[in-house]
Amino acid sequence: MSKFLKVLSLGVSLAALPVLAGAAQAGDPDKGAKVFKKCAACHAVGENAKNKVGPQLNEVFGRTAGALDGYKYSKAMIKAGEEGLVWDDATMTTYLEKPKAMIKGTKMAFAGLRKQEDLENVIAYLATFSSAAPAAEDAQSAAEPETAEAEVETAAANATAPAPAPVSAMREGGVLGLGRVATEDEVAAWDIDIRPDGEGLPAGSGTVADGEGLYSENCAVCHGDFGEGVGRWPVLAGGQDTLTEERPEKTIGSYWPYLSTVYDYVRRAMPYGNARSLSDDDIYAITAYLLYLNDIVEDEDFELSNENFAEIHLPNEDNFIADDRAEEPHYADKSEPCMSDCKDSPVEITMRSRILDVTPGSVDDDDAAGMGGVD
Amino acid sequence: MSDKTVSQSPNLSRRALLKAGLATGVAAGAVGAARADGDPLITEIQDWNRYLGEGVQSRPYGTPSEFEAHVVRRDVEWLTASTESSVNFTPLHELDGIITPNGLCFERHHGGIAEINPADHRLMINGLVDTPLVFTMEDLKRFPRENRVYFLECAANSGMEWRGSQLNGCQYTHGMIHSVMYTGVPLKLILEEAGIKTNAKWIMPEGADASAMTRSIPMEKALDDCLVAFKMNGEALRPEQGYPLRLVVPGWEGNMWIKWLRRIEVGDEPWHQREETSKYTDLLESGKARRFTWVMDAKSVVTNPSPQAPVTHGKGPLVISGVAWSGNGRITRVDVSIDGGRNWKTARLDGPSLPKAMHRFYLDIDWDGSDLLLQSRAMDENGYFQPTKNELRAARGENSIYHNNGIQTWHVKADGTVENVEVS
Repeated sequence: MSKFLKVLSLGVSLAALPVLAGAAQAGDPDKGAKVFKKCAACHAVGENAKNKVGPQLNEVFGRTAGALDGYKYSKAMIKAGEEGLVWDDATMTTYLEKPKAMIKGTKMAFAGLRKQEDLENVIAYLATFSSAAPAAEDAQSAAEPETAEAEVETAAANATAPAPAPVSAMREGGVLGLGRVATEDEVAAWDIDIRPDGEGLPAGSGTVADGEGLYSENCAVCHGDFGEGVGRWPVLAGGQDTLTEERPEKTIGSYWPYLSTVYDYVRRAMPYGNARSLSDDDIYAITAYLLYLNDIVEDEDFELSNENFAEIHLPNEDNFIADDRAEEPHYADKSEPCMSDCKDSPVEITMRSRILDVTPGSVDDDDAAGMGGVD
Repeated sequence: MSDKTVSQSPNLSRRALLKAGLATGVAAGAVGAARADGDPLITEIQDWNRYLGEGVQSRPYGTPSEFEAHVVRRDVEWLTASTESSVNFTPLHELDGIITPNGLCFERHHGGIAEINPADHRLMINGLVDTPLVFTMEDLKRFPRENRVYFLECAANSGMEWRGSQLNGCQYTHGMIHSVMYTGVPLKLILEEAGIKTNAKWIMPEGADASAMTRSIPMEKALDDCLVAFKMNGEALRPEQGYPLRLVVPGWEGNMWIKWLRRIEVGDEPWHQREETSKYTDLLESGKARRFTWVMDAKSVVTNPSPQAPVTHGKGPLVISGVAWSGNGRITRVDVSIDGGRNWKTARLDGPSLPKAMHRFYLDIDWDGSDLLLQSRAMDENGYFQPTKNELRAARGENSIYHNNGIQTWHVKADGTVENVEVS
């Protein structure tokens, strides 16, 4: 985190900071850091920020649109830059309100920030990573915040504990009488899980055709237009009959056992970085479209709903088995293992990691992408 | 020591510099003649021996020495699409004993680190219970609590090695593990407070993070040894380990230890969530996939020497050290081979031996300076022996990703450098 931010997050007066104007001045960078979490799945900012799905945002103010080296912009964004679009307070505000309205054809899937407050705060936050203030006012040297920081560190040392968590009143029943009864609305707010038998599905529906638009707006930026996956983001479609191959492609159509998992997961965790933002009907539509991408339904008019959901079975459902590791020969063998002369001849090296060395810090790891994965 | 070796580790280059300094010092002494004979670090008064150091409270929350700055978690960028759903690795080769320091416990997040004020955190119990309940952190701290040391290993630890040796360092091949003392409330007590219905067979813990992580866990395990923990190694959980509350599922794969725990649903069937269907299922050569492979089987690795921790002292006394663990109980024995598994010697276990916790082993040898093919083989209290990687491949193929507990081989060369290899 930059020193600027450290100061801000601990609540030192803004007076010590360069004079900002417009949204950046009105906004609170500390609150903006929270708003930025919506952006962080695709954009990095701060020390060592690199381009991700979207370009890194250090020094974004004063930057010509579509002009950052090493990032592959949409044609529309490059054109806007060539026509003179430079990011400042006003242009950034307009863009973040509704990206696609300003730059038709932008790759940025994000729908936009509706609240004026969020806009101001996130711009103020981004401004702390740009030496040019968004409205091009004179920026003071960073010396003053440094001084302020010293004071802040003393303050941190004297920090008192936050207020304790509330205590529930003792209740009747239970073993110890701890906790309180959850209300129906509370349970409904959090209990959003779906089981393969359809338990938990909300009433609603959506068609393949509806899903196509929603998918391209919310999902395609990472998962690709046809579910093929961009870079290392998960592949969602295809891969049928690859499970016994050297490089199996595990997709919804080729691997996942249950459709309920698709609905449940999209509902709880997608779009990545903006979870819980889709309506129940939107999720039915996106799920229907994913069935279509996987050739499990073929009709664009197909409508998925809580009524017909449990009738749909994914092709690989029967290929999951219980944990039978204990049947493997080395599990069954409880005899004392060999301690000496266990191999007939001296041991030979059959493989070295240097052959596919992809260890961080090794000579050529920049372009190296190893095999396998963690997820 | 070759230049190549020096450049591999900041620690080594520092030592090399010290050596160089020593040599210069001696040379200068010879010219000046007034200097005493010996190591100037001893014969000359050092700054730290003369001037006062910083006072108390200069470091209100203590941090490691500046000379330990290289001892950090590290990641492998190509593994994942974004750092918010990714993993980094514990520097096992820099650690000793059986406890992992909090700041070095590997991280695996699926939606970044949730930052939650404990005053704003709630734990809900719902589903097949007599009374759905909500607890605050203060409420939870009024239950009787326990302290237990457990290892947590990601099911994908060593997952990049299924097709052969790939990463050069035990931090990367085995570093998705940590071993911590947790303080928490037995999950059984919390479930009993809500009252479990007779048809309740499963629970599903859920996280409050942006992935709302969920897993199905059979009730038998929930009532056995699971903890709802709020402290690790005596202090509050770290944010990256689920502050303020996480589930502890001893001996079972790390993904089930839900961080930022906010809800536990009780049900009669498993939920088949994303992390127990599309992920954390073990694809076999036949195209079938095992699911609900929860237990982490016995496993061990030599942490020193290893590729990131070469032998710098030449032949003579050499401490071979490593860690072993089993999700099925205690480790009762670790054998070490220096010739690639042809001959074995039983290593010395040292420190506490606790079920489902990390164990430390040592084999103290007199190294003759010749090449070594180092292996370790753990045995747990059930008589289960850690298999070879080839035994695992024969039984499962190479696409399992998860549950690779095969025996690791390090090639220690005459110059002390070490490489990750596989052997016949």
